[in-house]
Amino acid sequence: MNTLSLAFRNIFRNARRSIMTMMAVGVGALAILMFGGFVSAIVLSFQTFIVQNTGHLHVYKRGYFDFGAGNPSAYGIADYAKVMQAIADDPVLKPMVAVATPSLTLFGIAGNFAANTSKTFFGTGLVPSDRERMRRWNAYGLQGLTWRESAMHDDDRDGGVIGLGLARMLSLCATLNVANCPTPPAAETSDKPVDQDIAALAAAEAPQDNGADPRPRIDLLAATAGGAPNVVNLRVARAENQGIKELDDAYVAMHLDLAQRLVFGRGERKVTALILQLHRSGDLKAAQARLETIFRDRGLDLEVRDFSQLTPMYPQVIGMFGTIFGFIAVIMGVIVLFTIANTMSMSVMERINEIGTLRALGQRRSGVRRQFLAEGFLLGLFGATLGVVAAILAAQAMNHSGLSWTPPGNSAPVPLTILLFQSRLLVPAAWICLTVLATLSTLFPANKAARMVVVDALRHV
Amino acid sequence: MTDSVRNEGPVVRLDQVVKEYHMGTIVVPAVAGVSLTLQAARFSVIVGPSGSGKTTLLNLIGCIDGATRGTVEVCGTDIATLNDDRLSDFRARHIGFIFQNFNLIPVLSAIENVEYPLLLAGIAKRERRARAMALLDAVGLADQARRRPNEMSGGQRQRVAIARALVAEPDLVLADEPTANLDSRTGAAIIELMHAMQARARTSFVFSTHDPAVMEHADSIFAIRDGLLVESREIGGRA
Ligand SMILES: Nc1ncnc2c1ncn2[C@@H]1O[C@H](COP(=O)(O)OP(=O)(O)OP(=O)(O)O)[C@@H](O)[C@H]1O
Ligand SMILES: [Mg+2]
Repeated sequence: MNTLSLAFRNIFRNARRSIMTMMAVGVGALAILMFGGFVSAIVLSFQTFIVQNTGHLHVYKRGYFDFGAGNPSAYGIADYAKVMQAIADDPVLKPMVAVATPSLTLFGIAGNFAANTSKTFFGTGLVPSDRERMRRWNAYGLQGLTWRESAMHDDDRDGGVIGLGLARMLSLCATLNVANCPTPPAAETSDKPVDQDIAALAAAEAPQDNGADPRPRIDLLAATAGGAPNVVNLRVARAENQGIKELDDAYVAMHLDLAQRLVFGRGERKVTALILQLHRSGDLKAAQARLETIFRDRGLDLEVRDFSQLTPMYPQVIGMFGTIFGFIAVIMGVIVLFTIANTMSMSVMERINEIGTLRALGQRRSGVRRQFLAEGFLLGLFGATLGVVAAILAAQAMNHSGLSWTPPGNSAPVPLTILLFQSRLLVPAAWICLTVLATLSTLFPANKAARMVVVDALRHV
Repeated sequence: MTDSVRNEGPVVRLDQVVKEYHMGTIVVPAVAGVSLTLQAARFSVIVGPSGSGKTTLLNLIGCIDGATRGTVEVCGTDIATLNDDRLSDFRARHIGFIFQNFNLIPVLSAIENVEYPLLLAGIAKRERRARAMALLDAVGLADQARRRPNEMSGGQRQRVAIARALVAEPDLVLADEPTANLDSRTGAAIIELMHAMQARARTSFVFSTHDPAVMEHADSIFAIRDGLLVESREIGGRA
């Protein structure tokens, strides 16, 4: 018989009311946890998607990030092989880095001269096997991620992938087996002959063993570092949805070698970025600091940017969901506060005579206060525990329900999951906060009970 | 100190005590200037018609209410000098209460109700149990120890309340019309029991009643009317 066991008995005096109160707290906990777990899953699947596609850190020549996007040759990293070697050899970076790969971003015009169509493109030259490894990153162990076998290979130096929109505009839908692809109205098809010089240039580039490769060929035109126009042929292996229309309408991924041939011709070959993917996102700051140290020590004029700078939507998404989460948590907190305060006030009013008796027997004001606080605490504790258990069950059910959603910028749906324990803080924090809140909500009724005038309380019937 | 107070000198001394209630602008003098002395180890009765101020007087003696004027001294302590916490501790140590409506704690069993004052006194569980059981036995309820109040009759409840009032060995037990909610035969048995327990514990008992039959047990009788002491009678030479 101590304060807690007495409190336990008292809350079950009016079992129905107490159970309703605990359920209200439980529903509050459930809502907070389910939404928190959902936000956890959203943030992590979004982060996973970003890290798979763009890595954690990008190394640029200083100024490229702010000014260089339009001028890959001026802001290129010339001796990138040496930089990569330095990264690979560094004892600090070595255990952190999963993939380090060069990348060349470029712009130009893509033409399908067979169909007399052309379109500006935004291209990336990459190392296919490195990108393939990057796409398998799943540090958070997310379930149900799907990989499509890459259409590009290291030894296929002319191969590449284009966006669905670009395929449509270049009239490649049929050849690339693109579904749901409208045919353009007749008037829009250009019948103007393509510039003769470019056509000639393209013809000169065209490989001779044409018939062996069934993949459609497009021509990519760009200005070289020296300013002269240059053309290369790209064998389009596949059209892939890029998620964002502007990107989808212009996207070309090609072998790094092909991109370098296009931009640098026979000149010195550079890249615009070195992309680093780490094993764990938690190492990001340490890796960035180490890279900066290495570059400073070696006098390299390079800068490092992290993925949230490259994808500003990422911090925005986190901020947005954080705000919604805070909003929901506050609403649930207010509901819990009023429910507990109401229940405990009723309990105090029903027990006025008992309070008078306890005080007459020699119970101090603080003892009365402690007794009621203990009851609020237990209501909160049981309710929050109920909510945690319910949330775990509901999350299990949800995670096995097969529901899916498509994150912003993603081209494929991902499973809808509730990650309750991904953030180690979520469940304990919700559990403790609601219990503490329930206890604090009892302060007002408990103080009212403690301050009662003994004789008035005893006279009360 | 407890023992010295118990056997010699007055346990309660009231000097010109006034208790006024304010009902709007009207002042109701529930106790209108009472001076009295209760000797230790006595069985005292306060009698008077309804509204005469019995309850108010007992509340003042029981240190759960403060006098408007005058001095209330219990066990040699002027209770006006104690703050609320000290007063609570003082009640726990020196005073036991028996109420008209029994006022047992409904979530506690009979034995736990009896233990409660010992819990307030900070006594260890094993000793609490033993002392509570001894008192339940003394009031004839050893076999009802596990019952909750709502499973017991009025007479049984009042016996539990008597055990609770005595368990911490107070100097003074106050009972405000303890038989008013009992039939006359049970009431008589309760008075009998209180008298026996008082004799055994050598504690001072004070109770209020309308019932003239109760008075035959009393060592001293105080009659009040309209908040004033109208008669004070010593019966036996027990002190
Ligand atoms: N809290 C209060 N506020 C105002 N007046 C009060 C209060 N308590 C008691 N009184 C008044 O004080 C007077 C004495 O009341 P008290 O309860 O002490 O009488 P009593 O002798 O115990 O009566 P009863 O035999 O009916 O219990 C009565 O006139 C009552 O109306
Ligand atoms: Mg009365």
